[in-house]
Amino acid sequence: MSNRFEAFLGLSVELTAFSRFDLLGTGLAERYLATLDKVVGVEITDTLLAAFVALPPAEGEARIKAVRTTILGNELLGDVARALIKLWYSGTWFELPLAWMERFGSRPADTTFVVSPDAYVEGLLWKAIGAHPAGAKAPGFGSWAFPPKIPALPELDSKA
Amino acid sequence: MSSYSIRTLDELKEFLHRAMQLEHATIPPYLTALYSIKPGVNQDATQVLRVIVVEEMLHLTIAANILNAIGGTPDLARPDFAASYPASLPDGETDFEVGIQAFSREALATFLKIERPAQRPKQLAGKGLIQRKTSANTTALGSHPRYEDLHFYSIGEFYSAIAEGIEYLEAEAHRQGTTIFTGDGSRQITPEFYYSGGGTLFPVTDRKSALEAIALIIEQGEGDGGGIYDNDEHELAHYYRFEELVKGRYYQKGDQPGHPTGPQVQVDWEGAYPIKANLKVAEIPEGSELREAAAAFNARYGEFLQLLTRAYNGQPSLLLEAVPTMFEFRNTILELIRNPLPNHPGMNGSPTYEIPGSTKQAAPTRQSEVIA
Amino acid sequence: MLFPLESTLKADAKTVAGSGEYDVVIVGSGISGAIIAKQAAEAGKRVLMLEAGTGANITLAGYDDLLTTFYSAVSKDNQSPFPVNANAAMPRSPKLRKLQAGETDSSTYIVQSGPYVSDTTYTRIFGGTTMHWEAKTPRMLRSDFKTRSIFGQGLDWPLSFEEIEDDYRLAEREIGVSANVEDQQYLGQTFPGDYVFPMRGLPLSYLDQQVNKGIEGTSVELCGKTYPLKVRPYPQGRNSIPNPAYDGGKGYRPIGAVDTHQVEEGGRCQGNTNCVPLCPVQARYHSGKTLAKAFAKNAKAGERLVELLAQAVASKVDIDPDNGKVRSLEVKVYKDPASAAHETITVKGKVFVFAAGAIETARLMLASGLRSTSGLVGRNLMDHAYLLNWALMPQICGTMRGTSSTGGIVDLRDGPFRERQAAFAIDIHNDGWGWATGAPTSDLLELVDDRNLHGADLRRGMVDRVSRQLLLAFMLEVMPDESNRITVDPQYTDALGNMRPILSFTVPEYTMKGAAYGRRFARTVFARLGAQDHTHYDPSDFGYVAYEGQGYAIRGGNHLAGTHIMGTTRTNSVVDKNQRSWDHENLYLVGGGSMPTIGTANVTLTLAAMCFRSSRDILKYLH
Repeated sequence: MSNRFEAFLGLSVELTAFSRFDLLGTGLAERYLATLDKVVGVEITDTLLAAFVALPPAEGEARIKAVRTTILGNELLGDVARALIKLWYSGTWFELPLAWMERFGSRPADTTFVVSPDAYVEGLLWKAIGAHPAGAKAPGFGSWAFPPKIPALPELDSKA
Repeated sequence: MSSYSIRTLDELKEFLHRAMQLEHATIPPYLTALYSIKPGVNQDATQVLRVIVVEEMLHLTIAANILNAIGGTPDLARPDFAASYPASLPDGETDFEVGIQAFSREALATFLKIERPAQRPKQLAGKGLIQRKTSANTTALGSHPRYEDLHFYSIGEFYSAIAEGIEYLEAEAHRQGTTIFTGDGSRQITPEFYYSGGGTLFPVTDRKSALEAIALIIEQGEGDGGGIYDNDEHELAHYYRFEELVKGRYYQKGDQPGHPTGPQVQVDWEGAYPIKANLKVAEIPEGSELREAAAAFNARYGEFLQLLTRAYNGQPSLLLEAVPTMFEFRNTILELIRNPLPNHPGMNGSPTYEIPGSTKQAAPTRQSEVIA
Repeated sequence: MLFPLESTLKADAKTVAGSGEYDVVIVGSGISGAIIAKQAAEAGKRVLMLEAGTGANITLAGYDDLLTTFYSAVSKDNQSPFPVNANAAMPRSPKLRKLQAGETDSSTYIVQSGPYVSDTTYTRIFGGTTMHWEAKTPRMLRSDFKTRSIFGQGLDWPLSFEEIEDDYRLAEREIGVSANVEDQQYLGQTFPGDYVFPMRGLPLSYLDQQVNKGIEGTSVELCGKTYPLKVRPYPQGRNSIPNPAYDGGKGYRPIGAVDTHQVEEGGRCQGNTNCVPLCPVQARYHSGKTLAKAFAKNAKAGERLVELLAQAVASKVDIDPDNGKVRSLEVKVYKDPASAAHETITVKGKVFVFAAGAIETARLMLASGLRSTSGLVGRNLMDHAYLLNWALMPQICGTMRGTSSTGGIVDLRDGPFRERQAAFAIDIHNDGWGWATGAPTSDLLELVDDRNLHGADLRRGMVDRVSRQLLLAFMLEVMPDESNRITVDPQYTDALGNMRPILSFTVPEYTMKGAAYGRRFARTVFARLGAQDHTHYDPSDFGYVAYEGQGYAIRGGNHLAGTHIMGTTRTNSVVDKNQRSWDHENLYLVGGGSMPTIGTANVTLTLAAMCFRSSRDILKYLH
């Protein structure tokens, strides 16, 4: 695995709170990195990955604060990072906000689209709530009568 | 009747236990091949494999019904129950290996062998079992419980031995005014608990229903007396469904075996994740998430076998609970198969089906000879 | 279930046009047409079925393509699996907007002439709206058949419950209804001593159970009568566990996916939570299952008794002026959904059956200038009005799992209050607020974009927000009103030049009174559950209706009815109690359009039952 892909995975773990195993288990990690490259361009993607790699190795609250100030609260990277979270959770790339486009320029590929049929199926939001995407990955006859099995949050090590 | 025929009720029970083992042993290879298929391709193959897995579960349940009917106690948690892969299956004078691998031409070739046991050639007619020195670590499916090195010529013969055993023992019992079918009827699994439209489950209560049950298993696998459909001309046998994928064409009514003339089947032989065949947990680096997940899957699978055991021992409604577990396995297997296998560039992980507490480990070597 | 291979071969338009007279020509391959086709084929009659859609989804591969389209769609609305086809257009709800007074909006397939804008839909593909339906299958209540006599509201049917009861059983067999008799014996519903449904009831969802825990044993008072509250399971047209006691102990064999080659059979519902818009595994009934049986008669008979002509849009009815009989049907057959190029053929038959749904059947009649002696074609349009109420439960309920709806509160389907206000049945939606707010995607956007959650906080936030969602959908009774109607106008046509339906609708006051009570009822239930009420009706919502100082967003129910109601004479109705046109003796207008009232039952089971009745009448007519 390339360093770039490693950094992308690490960033994705940090943003989604799903483990590398979970993320790779969707079979979509490469395609999502490619989606970033396609929509916002390699340069901004690299800036985002560099910002992640440069995060201080703090734990807990300090780490979260660093992510907020240097990534999610960054004027260029924040909206891109949020779009990446939404992509992992739903399989849909959501068009960046108008304000971002006005400031950093609109991109031809930046429209709202489902990356692929399986991207919808592998949306992490369903896994987060112990359910399944509507119309896919059915849990089996009668399973709905029982309490949901909401997966515990993994102990994450996002540092590449 | 040879000296290897079933002569006692205990022997028959042991044979039926092996029948359950055999039916179960086909499920991990089929499931793995099914879930190795990449999204968006091989929809026909996905359908075929899924139907067959569901029916193998049915066969397992039917075997449990027969065992229960004669007062046995199905035990899927027994240390020798779960096969170690690759396992060996009888295939004429030699055995063949059944392994865990991705959907591929090789996998299909194995599946065809599973579903259509070899026909004994004329020169061997009436001869006995085949002796093979199977490694102690290999699961020899469809072998004789009393003579570990004696293998049936085919799965068909294995089931014929069971059918003959039932006939013989029931006739014996009948002469003494009793029956071998003394099992508690409430232990039978009926369609309420496991519905597979392709083969209706029925309770086994006597000689007739027991022989029908065995016939159903054989017909769904290989077809009825050389025909491609089972006996009510309704359902295509597993062998021919797999063959549709290999030949790239569907069968339709009236077709001769080997010559399907229906619409084309699109098969993308590259459309599967590259998993490492017969992976073992020990091959995955310690401390990796993949290893942890593979081990967790095996533990869950072990619990699943225990759940099935309880279902087959007087609590049939537990089978309804087992259904969501099967669907959960789908999700975990997909994840295992999509994760790269560390230190094996270009290869992905896989479920290993090494059930905690089972005794066999793989190390296959064998020879074969025919003995009288 | 196997479709004989030749059934997927598209019938050739020229052959159809030149093949002389069919016994029965059916327009539409939904459940009504499918039942009549099957019954006619079983009696050895020659049947031609015309379907406006492409028919591609007759094969499993074509069906699965619909699923892929759904997965790929940004908006997962209830028509999203069904590709756009301008030659057989269908209403699509996300495109609607509120109308100004007196305004008409012709930008969507159904021309909305107001004042109320309906987002009601039906599906113009092979299988009709059964490709998309939720498959709840309650029977109508005895009182629903005579609301005029009992409550002074609506119209009486020319049929009693007793006259339709046997056909309800046939419909329940055909659809394969899963329910337990003991769960359906509320409000005086009775079943013969030995009756069981074909399959056992589907278990209530965990969400249903949590709601039930909060309300069971409590009651409400309305017009001096007490109504106990309880969550009861709905009968459902999807595969469950076959009941071994069915049919005098013969049991029931469920039908699963249909295709031209062997696929999994009789598969049970797997809980895909996607009944609407498309069950991925065909555990839910669709009319292709009935048509597969009809096509199977071809092989038995050794000739093509049943033919399907897809991409064939019935355009005009030709009447013999001497005797009023339908002489022929003009049909536009297109080659490609992407092009309006088509040829026009004439189809002849002994009997014609229009089974295109309440709106399209009325549209076809009106486009042919056939308003009927009573002038009622297109009038009395009905659809259940839905009022959505949504809240967050105090505890995790595992929302987003199960069939679309497994249970609900149905004890106010009947009572003396129906003299003044609409009855209702409440569905608990297992997909949470989806219908009302677009959950859970809308929740994700809010949590990420507005509440700035990421990582573990986001995961916990999603559980907190989605897994506690409760949506109570009140399905409100709508009575017939002649001014609620479908009309046509040559200025509004589709790609093939066929006139489009124009919908004029006012939600009746009777219904709004029920809606206002329903809103109060929901607040009472939420209070008992300790649930946070998040219900909000936006005045700019296309379906916003003001009533007595409050506003309510009313949604369409896709339970279309009433455009060719049945009655006792040619002056008070369009069809007789066998759904035969009073004016045209060889014409049957079948489906929801024949229903004089709809009570609080989803219409499909009842209209399926009526089609068994009509099939017998058609066969009698042919003899």
